[in-house]
Amino acid sequence: MSLALHASVPAGPGPMVKIVDLHVKFGRHEVLKGIHLEVAPREVLSIVGPSGSGKSTLLHCVNRLQTAHRGHIWIEGVDILAPGVDVNRLRRKVGMVFQHFNLFENKTVLDNVILAPVKLGLLPRAAAVARGLDLLRQLGLAAKAQAWPHNLSGGQKQRVAIARALAMDPDLMLFDEPTSALDPEMVKDVLDAMKDLARGGMTMMVVTHEMGFAREVSNRMVFLDEGLIVEDAPPEWFFNRPQNPRTKAFLEKIL
Amino acid sequence: MWRARIQQCLLDPLPNGLPPGWRMLLDGLGYTLVISVLAVALGVVLGTVLAVLRMSRRGWLRWPARLYADLIRGTPVLVQLFIVNFIVFASVQADKWLVATIAFGLNSAAYVSEIVRAGIQSVNPGQMDAARSLGMPGALAMREIILPQAFRNILPALGNEFVVLLKETSVVGFIGGMDLMRMGDIIRSMTYEAYVPLLSVAAIYLVLTLGLSALLQRLEGRLGWGRER
Ligand SMILES: Nc1ncnc2c1ncn2[C@@H]1O[C@H](COP(=O)(O)OP(=O)(O)O)[C@@H](O)[C@H]1O
Ligand SMILES: [Mg+2]
Repeated sequence: MSLALHASVPAGPGPMVKIVDLHVKFGRHEVLKGIHLEVAPREVLSIVGPSGSGKSTLLHCVNRLQTAHRGHIWIEGVDILAPGVDVNRLRRKVGMVFQHFNLFENKTVLDNVILAPVKLGLLPRAAAVARGLDLLRQLGLAAKAQAWPHNLSGGQKQRVAIARALAMDPDLMLFDEPTSALDPEMVKDVLDAMKDLARGGMTMMVVTHEMGFAREVSNRMVFLDEGLIVEDAPPEWFFNRPQNPRTKAFLEKIL
Repeated sequence: MWRARIQQCLLDPLPNGLPPGWRMLLDGLGYTLVISVLAVALGVVLGTVLAVLRMSRRGWLRWPARLYADLIRGTPVLVQLFIVNFIVFASVQADKWLVATIAFGLNSAAYVSEIVRAGIQSVNPGQMDAARSLGMPGALAMREIILPQAFRNILPALGNEFVVLLKETSVVGFIGGMDLMRMGDIIRSMTYEAYVPLLSVAAIYLVLTLGLSALLQRLEGRLGWGRER
């Protein structure tokens, strides 16, 4: 499998994502308490942390599936929390892969992949089909183009989900525990696809518990704990010399 | 004895130059089917719109839809039929089948809106998240992803709604509709025979409703993309 992906690198040296003082509340419960984070173009950032620390919430803010209470997020220099921002236009450039795949149950595999590009008028149908089949082939799913999602294994579903996101030609990909719902023997296929994507230069924010993957593939790791980033370091540092005691405790538990 | 009754009620021409009973019942059946099918179609379209309105984030879209459902569900269908016939269509000449279709369609919409709402809520929220994450506007996601799955989930309930409606239309005789029930009643009054026409009418309703339920069950199994079960 090889994903020759052409993530279009934005003009200028600015960050792909810049998050400043991001707060999110659910009612009285403050889940994100002032996140500061930058992701450079072509960077692969792994986000780790205990369950409930706000990892999903953070990712959901980046494509505005979650609204922020306070703070700023710029994507390719555009302030996405500003009033009047075209959210749908933003989301076209930010792909998301979910823990539970969320494939469209009423669409075949190929239709899952081409639906948005065709219905949003980004590609003529024939071109979308050609590109969709190409993506499916690269992900080892050529034979499944006409299958229904419920006939696929978890690993296949997740790769379709990746193909669906890539069909939008995104500049940034968000992964929310993409292998957590998979049987162990399926994890590798999905991680391999993500590795290929990273090698192709895609900017990625990956929430994961796969420490092997994080160490091998990511350029940077952050540890999120109770709504704050308490560790932000390259993987070697993160694993070998964590600065924060809570990171240490987390790593001891998980490794 | 029974053969003579059947002969008189169903096979021989009726008094006053009316055709034989079987012919009357057949016409009535056609009438019943037409208004039921059209009314349920109207009900599904309007009901879906109402359901989407009721789930809107905007209050001024939500409350009229809700009020409508409450008004319809809180009053008898016969009262609604009379209101449509004697008030709404008071000064407009319209065929009774059209009046009945509109009245029953408006009635059905309220019940269908509840069904559709439950159906929309039965769709995994992740489906909407995925659609939104691809930049699909809400209306597009609704049309392509949410509603098709909602309808698949509520097909049995909608079929049941049609069965209910089919039976409820038996009151259109009150405003002069010539449906199955009315025809049976005409035969009864012409022949002074109650058993044969009324039991025939009952049997026809029963065959329709049972047949429909069976058909729906088969249809349900046909949809390829059903949920894993
Ligand atoms: N829609 C929501 N409404 C209320 N609370 C929520 C919602 N989503 C998440 N939370 C809460 O926010 C906290 C962080 O959730 P989440 O971002 O999913 O954590 P993680 O992905 O790190 O496990 C949890 O306590 C969770 O219960
Ligand atoms: Mg999570």
